[in-house]
Amino acid sequence: MTEEINIQEMSNEEILELMQEDLYDGYADEIVEEVEELLERGMTPYDILTDGLVAGMDIVGVDFRDGILFVPEVLMAAKAMKAGMGILRPLLVETGAPKIGTMVIGTVKGDIHDIGKNLVAMMMEGAGFEVINIGINNSVEEYLEAIEQYKPEILGMSALLTTTMPYMRVVIDALKEKGIRKDLIVLVGGAPLNDAFAEDIEADAYCRDAAVAVDTAKKFMKIRQGQ
Amino acid sequence: MSETADAGSIPPAANEQPLLIFMPSGRRGHVPAGKTVLEAARELGVEIESICGGRLTCNKCLVRVEEGSFQKHGISSRAGHLSDPSAEELALLEKLDSLDCRLSCAATVQGDALIYVPESSRGQKQIIRKTATERTIEVDPAVRQVYVEVDEAELGEHRGDWGRLQDALREQWEIETERIDLPALRELQPALRAEGWAVTVTLWQDEVIDVQPGYREGIYGLAVDIGSTTVAAYLCDLRTGAIVAADSTMNPQVTYGEDLMSRISYADSERTGLEKMHEAIIDTANRLAAQTARAAGLQARDIHELVVVGNTTMIHIFLGIHPGELGGAPFALANRDGMDIKARELGLRLHRGANVHVLPAQAGHVGADNVGVLLAEEPYRWSEVGLIVDVGTNAEIVLGNKDWLYSASSPTGPAFEGAQITHGMRAAPGAIERVRIDPETKEARFRVIGEERWSDEWQLGAEVPPEEQPRHLAAGICGSGIIEVVAEMFLAGIILADGRFNPAFQGDRAQWDGRTGAYVLATAAESSSGRPLVVTQDDVRNVQLAKAALYAGARLLMQRAGIEIDAVSRVILAGAFGSYISPQHAMILGLIPDCELDAVYPVGNAAGDGARIALLNRQKRAEAQTVAHQVRYIETAVDAGFQEAFVAAIHIPHAEDAFPHLADILPDNKQAPRRARKRRYSRD
Repeated sequence: MTEEINIQEMSNEEILELMQEDLYDGYADEIVEEVEELLERGMTPYDILTDGLVAGMDIVGVDFRDGILFVPEVLMAAKAMKAGMGILRPLLVETGAPKIGTMVIGTVKGDIHDIGKNLVAMMMEGAGFEVINIGINNSVEEYLEAIEQYKPEILGMSALLTTTMPYMRVVIDALKEKGIRKDLIVLVGGAPLNDAFAEDIEADAYCRDAAVAVDTAKKFMKIRQGQ
Repeated sequence: MSETADAGSIPPAANEQPLLIFMPSGRRGHVPAGKTVLEAARELGVEIESICGGRLTCNKCLVRVEEGSFQKHGISSRAGHLSDPSAEELALLEKLDSLDCRLSCAATVQGDALIYVPESSRGQKQIIRKTATERTIEVDPAVRQVYVEVDEAELGEHRGDWGRLQDALREQWEIETERIDLPALRELQPALRAEGWAVTVTLWQDEVIDVQPGYREGIYGLAVDIGSTTVAAYLCDLRTGAIVAADSTMNPQVTYGEDLMSRISYADSERTGLEKMHEAIIDTANRLAAQTARAAGLQARDIHELVVVGNTTMIHIFLGIHPGELGGAPFALANRDGMDIKARELGLRLHRGANVHVLPAQAGHVGADNVGVLLAEEPYRWSEVGLIVDVGTNAEIVLGNKDWLYSASSPTGPAFEGAQITHGMRAAPGAIERVRIDPETKEARFRVIGEERWSDEWQLGAEVPPEEQPRHLAAGICGSGIIEVVAEMFLAGIILADGRFNPAFQGDRAQWDGRTGAYVLATAAESSSGRPLVVTQDDVRNVQLAKAALYAGARLLMQRAGIEIDAVSRVILAGAFGSYISPQHAMILGLIPDCELDAVYPVGNAAGDGARIALLNRQKRAEAQTVAHQVRYIETAVDAGFQEAFVAAIHIPHAEDAFPHLADILPDNKQAPRRARKRRYSRD
């Protein structure tokens, strides 16, 4: 069934709504068209981001949490989001729009699991965060370097092995030693982890999956911004 | 092997072997007189608990003979049809207050008997029992025995007894030997003089490991496969190559951690962790050696060599090497190559000069067990390309032919072992292992381990006599059942190709919690807990992740090799679990790539077979070493294409790859799109 749509005939609200649907279905080209159309109409990049893309990814997040969407669909949605962000990001910087937050994320040393961490990175981007994904097998030095360079509010660490997850404590201890632990929100995740482990190593929270990571990050950011 | 008659039919009277019927299972069959009741039970597939293995110590195997003529069963059963109890057995029975019972490991069958196995004696063993399959192996072991007559010592001649033996071996057998094991040297002089300077010499390669007076025969070897869960042992006659006894047991290290990584963590975090796990596995190997030897009328000291395979972590721990380096990248092995070690150095109580041969490994997490599989299946001789998958918590994948071989290890996780599945369980009695779902009614019928009838033939209810009720109600779903149920749910349209529950799925079998669906596989009446067994959305998701990891690994190897799926001429399912998987369902699920269905087949415990091959033929050890070096191991996790391959493989059976061999089976349209793609007027 093919529906013919002319977005030029639609209201701003209708286009924002359509963006949410297109994100859900992972239609990157359509998202680009819609972002461009709204910019042309004079909507601010920040409003397009929050009312269109982020609102759409919220729905994706909820359905992922409920098991209705799964990894491939979420990745498609994230790619569509990224296509829209490609246009918006420079404009957001230009207009000095408020930043939602920055995250450095990586898998710990000895661990080469990539995909789950990438999913979190994409969902965080979907929620409007700026994400620096430093990949797998990261030493303390590599985490510290990235923190130094990007000054994130959030540090995300991932481990999929019982044998590599203790390295998270090593990183957190190093943060304390440098006196920057309190400047950061440390979120940890991965199959063998749980809340007790996160508490034990003094991370701020354990996130069961990408949807929880986004919710948790938002919650901590609100506290930090005193809202 | 005795024949098992259908329940209810009366076997021919002409059969001279005694008839045994076991209750409450109703299993029946003729067994040779003189067998113990325990042996007979095992032959007939009746599980009776026995821990001590017939040493009259564990008292687990009590059974009772029901006396009388039973028309219904066509049998006249007498307590006197079992051998008379020994004084030792009687004393035990009295102590147990069970004088009406017998110890099934001690009582032998002399005539027809109807035997009741009380609940407390019924075994709840794991069913995945690694039994040896018949294969043709040329017998050329590292151990051999020769009879020689040695020159007597004389005054004025100073060769020494060892020198005299060396000369005799050279002259009579053309054996050049420079080495004699110290314990053998200690025995040498009395042995030579006991029966007039004639001795039987046992050699391992070119080393003398035993000297016995006169003519002797009997050399034996043990092939051992150390799995993370199960340890299997095959005792072989090294002269004939025959398996004379086989046994298996749980790996006791399970206590210290279910999976490999938790055992490595245990070794990392507990000061004596490695020591404990090492001792536990050595103890188990000793027990298996003693049990198999006893079963064959031998003793553990008759075992002259042991060949061991296992994953790299198991081998490290077996050798007492700390497995810590295997816990994280770059997964460095202490030693990749094959090894020979004196059994006594490891605390193994075999022949005092016995050797332990460890097969080589390929890479950090592709171990000697996989090399064993290669020895058994010989992909390095295939002219066409084949795929071997060994499904476990880690799936090992090998692709190739005589010209090239690639291997990979894919982290499938424990879903196929029943973990991370709401009603998952290991393969044990009561586990659902086969599933069919009616696409119209969405009704399920299934088969559980320990009960031959499908669930739709079960007679349930208080009015049904106990012997007609199923022996086991459904207790959970094991790996093969998990694969079948998800594949069947897909075929029946209960779940869609993306794995999501079909919103149109309704009826008695449907459970919806908001927008999240679940499927009722076993009803409350069919379940041992009295609560329905369901397959949830999360269960489906976990299966999708597991199967995608395996498929993506296989696909990545094909990409490396530059071949397409249709170049794969066969798919071999190795491992105990592989024997129970339905090839068709595995393919429908997209666990394995498309292939002629007949060309997908299980080979059982190929790793154990490989160990046996290396035990019986020393040339094969060199072959193992060569192939272990030849196989190109690919670390899939760091491959740039892995994520894409993995994500595409999450769909059922696959988002992109075609399955032409399932064309008649798969639903027509892979999936109705969530929303029709729109066509729109372009802005310019």
